[in-house]
Amino acid sequence: MIKKRLNIFAVLILVLVLVTACATPAPEPETQEPNAGESVEPEAEQIKIGFISAFTGVFSSFGTMQREGAELALEEYNYEVAGKEIVVIYEDDQLDNELAVTKAKKLVQQDDIDILTGMVSGDEGLTVGDYMKDKGIPVVPMYSASEDMTMRSFFPMVVRATWTGAQSQDVFGYYLAKELGYTKIYQIGEDYSYPWNQGGGFIRGFCRGGGEEVASVWFPPGSTSDFSSMIASIPLDEDYDAVYYNGAGGDAVNFIKQFVELGMLDQIPLLGQSNTTEKPDLDSLPTDIVGVLSAHHTTDDMTNPEWVAFSEAFNERWGHDPSAASEFAYSSMRMILRALEAVDGDVSDKEALVEAMINVDMTDDPRGPVVIDPTYHAAIGNVYIREVAMGDDGVLFNKGLLTVENVSQFGPYDPDVYLAQPEDTNSYPSGLCSDLPAEMLEGPEYEFLPFGD
Amino acid sequence: MISNRKKTFQNLFIVFVVLLLILLPFYAGEYAVTTFIRIIYFGFLAVAMGFLIGQGGMVSLAHTAFFGIAGYVIGLFGYERGWPFPTADIFAIVVVIVFAVIFGMIAIRAQKIVFLMITLAFGQVVWAFALQNTKLLHGWAGIRGIRPYLIAGINFYEINNYYWMSLVLFALGLWVLWRIVKSPFGLALNGTAESSQRMSALGYPVYWIRVAAFVLAAVYAALGGILATYNTGVITPTTIQMSRTIWVLLMVILGGASYFWGPVLGTFVAVWLDVFISQNTERYNTVIGVIFILIVLFSPTGILGVVDNIRNRKNNGFLSKWLPKRNKKLDTEV
Repeated sequence: MIKKRLNIFAVLILVLVLVTACATPAPEPETQEPNAGESVEPEAEQIKIGFISAFTGVFSSFGTMQREGAELALEEYNYEVAGKEIVVIYEDDQLDNELAVTKAKKLVQQDDIDILTGMVSGDEGLTVGDYMKDKGIPVVPMYSASEDMTMRSFFPMVVRATWTGAQSQDVFGYYLAKELGYTKIYQIGEDYSYPWNQGGGFIRGFCRGGGEEVASVWFPPGSTSDFSSMIASIPLDEDYDAVYYNGAGGDAVNFIKQFVELGMLDQIPLLGQSNTTEKPDLDSLPTDIVGVLSAHHTTDDMTNPEWVAFSEAFNERWGHDPSAASEFAYSSMRMILRALEAVDGDVSDKEALVEAMINVDMTDDPRGPVVIDPTYHAAIGNVYIREVAMGDDGVLFNKGLLTVENVSQFGPYDPDVYLAQPEDTNSYPSGLCSDLPAEMLEGPEYEFLPFGD
Repeated sequence: MISNRKKTFQNLFIVFVVLLLILLPFYAGEYAVTTFIRIIYFGFLAVAMGFLIGQGGMVSLAHTAFFGIAGYVIGLFGYERGWPFPTADIFAIVVVIVFAVIFGMIAIRAQKIVFLMITLAFGQVVWAFALQNTKLLHGWAGIRGIRPYLIAGINFYEINNYYWMSLVLFALGLWVLWRIVKSPFGLALNGTAESSQRMSALGYPVYWIRVAAFVLAAVYAALGGILATYNTGVITPTTIQMSRTIWVLLMVILGGASYFWGPVLGTFVAVWLDVFISQNTERYNTVIGVIFILIVLFSPTGILGVVDNIRNRKNNGFLSKWLPKRNKKLDTEV
């Protein structure tokens, strides 16, 4: 019996092997070595960009926003730079790291991409980055905010025109301590790397601004929809100045709804991390949360001409307002396209391409001028302190309050001192400001400018 | 006479296919090799689950967890603590065996749907532990940067070497499993699935036969997990989440759970389907889902069941007029 099955099996395998061998392009284009007499290379007229993101699964809304932003930039260039066609190959990883690596392999090995971009979550970025380390292909993470990609796990092919988790939160924490005089904060956070990084930045900034303590409670993301016990255990009698909710997505919507329903808003102010009150989740939140503060690299009411133009174009193309994720994707993709222009579409020298990316003029970026740090290839740009406000139409939006210009991923700290610290986890920084080393408590002050000037 | 000639032809044919698989890196693209590596490591897991379903009549949802446990041991000891080559890998298998024995002894006391639920619970506990343990297993982020070794001068980080090594391991694994299926133990296991009462009446230790099969399958899952971890370089909770278990179970059913080669074929077809369809549409999950439903609807015994049906019909069905006559003698022989 088994022998018979083996035969059937062998036939099927044969057929499928042949099919796959025909269907997956063997490395034929590589045969066009420069030693061939003619310099006409029909394949080289294309520049291939791989785009990995989560288009299905829990993070699909971020993946879709990224794609919309990137496509807008590509359409502005009509998918063409220096006479060469830009081909973008989208791959969905469902936020599964095994799949993310597999898709990265597919893009590198089969599609022979020139640039890899996309990536929505921090761990996804680090995982893909780990595979890409020795491939010599530029990697441009978009919304993926893990700071180590441009810090402790940095490799020279990474260029990040966007943000790190700690970047905006350092400003936020500093603002709360220095300007509002908060001294004790109660943090409730999702237990994974991106909130750790946001919380880490928050604590450092808060302590440097004169705060005393950030007490933290961590819970696994997506593990519960009932936050009532977590909310009930917030110690209202211990003089905490505010609750900092360090999470986003469905958890944030559930948490904030229950926070409001339990009447907590009247007893203690609520603060959010960068994504907590981001669109489109903001549309699902109760209107009672008007006044909740957060910090990010965009706001919904920016009036600078670059943002207005971007926002209008985005609305016209996609029928809704852009979010930070779509702006980051737009800005990253535009940086890639401008860099390709600068090298005249010649992608053979990847180091030159990375160099061109770093030197791209991004002063006209919709979210404010952006410069890329030549050492760690991370963006330096504006951070906005914002509050949730209600428009005339009754729709909530993030209203800009203050602007801090030229914030780097290292904040105001010396990069060497910063890198000497352990990476952010759920136990570091501890939350007691007295535990932080003295050199992390000093540094130039942030200058808070009125928003919109 | 005819039968002998046919046999020779068949043997030649099998040799040809084996050669095709061995020579794959020379005629197919690099990504085809990557995909075959992926087929092999998920194949190990599918074979483990298929063996339990087909031979033992046990649907286990716990074996993805063993796949992951092996990966985490490699990450924790081989990578983070730098244990030299075979120690971490052997230790991974030992750890999986310990887990499988303890858990198998509990789970095998239950049967059918209860068994399924208990194994599901175990799988979920392991997944949730990996997700929530941030101190040791780094929670959501998992362990990154794991690389294959340089053994005896052969660099297994080189994809072709890794493919051949996986292929040899897989062939060896399948051969051993085939021998086990054909052995008195395999037949006894099959007997426990058919009628456990009769088997115990005959004096067979039904419970221990099942535990042994459970542990054996766990070892196969662990081998897959080890190969997968070195290949992707990461081990994270998403690798062992529920949807992965379901996907592997579907692959087993797709190929034909009751056939020895069913899980292997199912993995092969499912992984390539995934590759092709996801290249063409974003709605690939829907397309693959529909294909699965169609197969299960029209052939509950999977693709090999369809092939079997056609072969049977060829002899006595409506197609027999057009198709060449089949050698009946071969049937009785095998």
